[in-house]
Amino acid sequence: MEEVWAALLRSVIFGTPILIAALGNLLNERAGVVNLGVEGMMAVGALAAFATAQTTGSGGLGVLAGVLAGGLFTLPHAFVAISLRANQFVSGLALAMLGLGLAGLLGKRFEGQPLLAPLPEMPFVYLGFGLAVALWAFLYLTHAGLVLRSVGENPAAADLLGIPVYRVRYWAVAAGGMFAGLAGAFLAVSYRSSWTEGMTNQLGWIAIALTIFVAWEPLRAVLGAYFFGLLYYLGFALQDSAIPSVFLQALPYALVIVVLALVAWRRRQGAAPEALGLPYERGRR
Amino acid sequence: MKKTLFLLLAVWVVGFGLAQDKLKACWIYVGPIGDYGWSHAHDVGRKEAMKALPWLETAYVESVPEAQVEPTIDKLVSEGCKVIFATSFGYMDGVLNAAKKYPEVLFGHATGYKRAPNVMTYLAEFNEVYYLNGLIAGALTKSGKVGYVAAFPIPEVKRHISAFALGVREVNPRATINVRWINAWFDPAKATEATNALMAQGNDVFAFTEDTPAVIQAAAKRNLPAFGHYSPMQKFSPKTVPSGQLVRWEKIYIDFLSKVRNGTYTNRNLDKVDYWWLLKEGAVELGGEFGVPINPAFVPALKAKRVTDKLTGKQTTVYDLVMARYEAMKAGKFSPFTGPIRDRNGILRVPAGQVYPIYSDKPGANQASMEWAAPGIVGQWPNEPKN
Repeated sequence: MEEVWAALLRSVIFGTPILIAALGNLLNERAGVVNLGVEGMMAVGALAAFATAQTTGSGGLGVLAGVLAGGLFTLPHAFVAISLRANQFVSGLALAMLGLGLAGLLGKRFEGQPLLAPLPEMPFVYLGFGLAVALWAFLYLTHAGLVLRSVGENPAAADLLGIPVYRVRYWAVAAGGMFAGLAGAFLAVSYRSSWTEGMTNQLGWIAIALTIFVAWEPLRAVLGAYFFGLLYYLGFALQDSAIPSVFLQALPYALVIVVLALVAWRRRQGAAPEALGLPYERGRR
Repeated sequence: MKKTLFLLLAVWVVGFGLAQDKLKACWIYVGPIGDYGWSHAHDVGRKEAMKALPWLETAYVESVPEAQVEPTIDKLVSEGCKVIFATSFGYMDGVLNAAKKYPEVLFGHATGYKRAPNVMTYLAEFNEVYYLNGLIAGALTKSGKVGYVAAFPIPEVKRHISAFALGVREVNPRATINVRWINAWFDPAKATEATNALMAQGNDVFAFTEDTPAVIQAAAKRNLPAFGHYSPMQKFSPKTVPSGQLVRWEKIYIDFLSKVRNGTYTNRNLDKVDYWWLLKEGAVELGGEFGVPINPAFVPALKAKRVTDKLTGKQTTVYDLVMARYEAMKAGKFSPFTGPIRDRNGILRVPAGQVYPIYSDKPGANQASMEWAAPGIVGQWPNEPKN
């Protein structure tokens, strides 16, 4: 019984950084902007959070710094992708690499330093869940949410209605960065409590895959992230069985691919926002 | 004017002479030097060698993927490196190819086993220290279940787990050592979840092979002891790290570079050079922090636990046992792989009175290539020999 409880607990805890990052990514994709830079924003958020917590001694300030850093760091991508209408995929990839490199470089002096009072993990779990519900309510129950979705589906029509497409997209991208920064902050000051270069370890990419996996729905993202967390945990918990460990550990990733394929099979069009990844320029179609 | 020119020329000549007088050694790291594990420890070794050897000039390249080692060596040779240390097992074949291409350059390959006239191999070997930590773990476990988070199922890691298990069982004959593989050298998230899985299954003391303090941090959340690995990790959780494995690569680097300098080692005789350095040579140490073999917070518990020393037959405490073995191994008088040792399937691996050889002609029947698991180890064990 204790093992079942532990499995559930670990799946929500490990699912939380993926959930938070995926919610952010979902938000900017709903506004029509692809941002493959999640991994880099998480790294920057993690470093900012750790550095702040370490120097001020306050984990809470660290989290705040992580959120702000994630939001600010994503602005170059917003500028290039929205204002300059460059290729969003390339710009996002550049952001991912830049973030990892920059955090690695600036973080050198924080390597090997312990944070002796890490924040507890459960508040982040509640926060992640709360953010998912709030995001769902925002998207479907508020006028602002409708505006955001319409910018992602048909920016030209939104523009005709007087909606400031660029401004909405900028805010969505910045918010996505803040979510990613929060996810990184959780890793650095709570889940782990130290900084190491590369500590985000591909979680940002999983968050991007999860966004598609859950068809851009915040509440499904909760289930998807916890499910991934569960499979990840079982990769270690089930090692006393006869199933080879390599197979168990590949399972979560393999399942992501299988589900992606199923989603694509069932709905040719997919549930993606119509204008996803397409730069908007007034008067051009 | 002439005088100035002459002076300048003199300075230039002398400067050139001094530069010529230096030996340039270069390091290739597989990970970032800030990993606080493997690559970090090698880089500390490089810096210590620089301090100790005034004629040494160094350079390094970090995060070099294993397939990229040859172009990296090309670059380092073109920059004037005369000695190159390649610090990952996976660089092996790349180093040997490059060694043929640059016969005048001397190479050192860490953890490898293929040598050439200008390629030596070296390793700071931990099995003795793991064994000592095993003795401590056996005394500290209340549930009788000790967790081990392991990187890859290769002989080096298996040897360390077995040495650790031999120590645990010497103090606590019924204890189990529960192994979880993460199939990565660096993956703090996997190490964290593996530790959590082990905790849920009742393990209450931890050791690991991974390049970050993640296992220590995960165990510390439940106030459970975990041993440090590679770097001084006691500071990450001062009250829950009883001890650990520490490395001093500089001992090997300084020895080798000095012998290159004085002409003992040349590009024609390295095929006989293999460093397998242990406590005796000072290449490894016991502790979660340099100079602290056992965390004072754990000393009372270890002094309270009584055992019989199997070598002398006398009653002693675990603390004294650890210290006695530590001293014996520093003097080169004891090996954890002293027979009789049967593996977990009951097959006799080391006959009574013998020490398991480091190398031998028969693959799988020596420390360097052993694949078997010591008694008490529970969990998957890829390539476990059937006989």
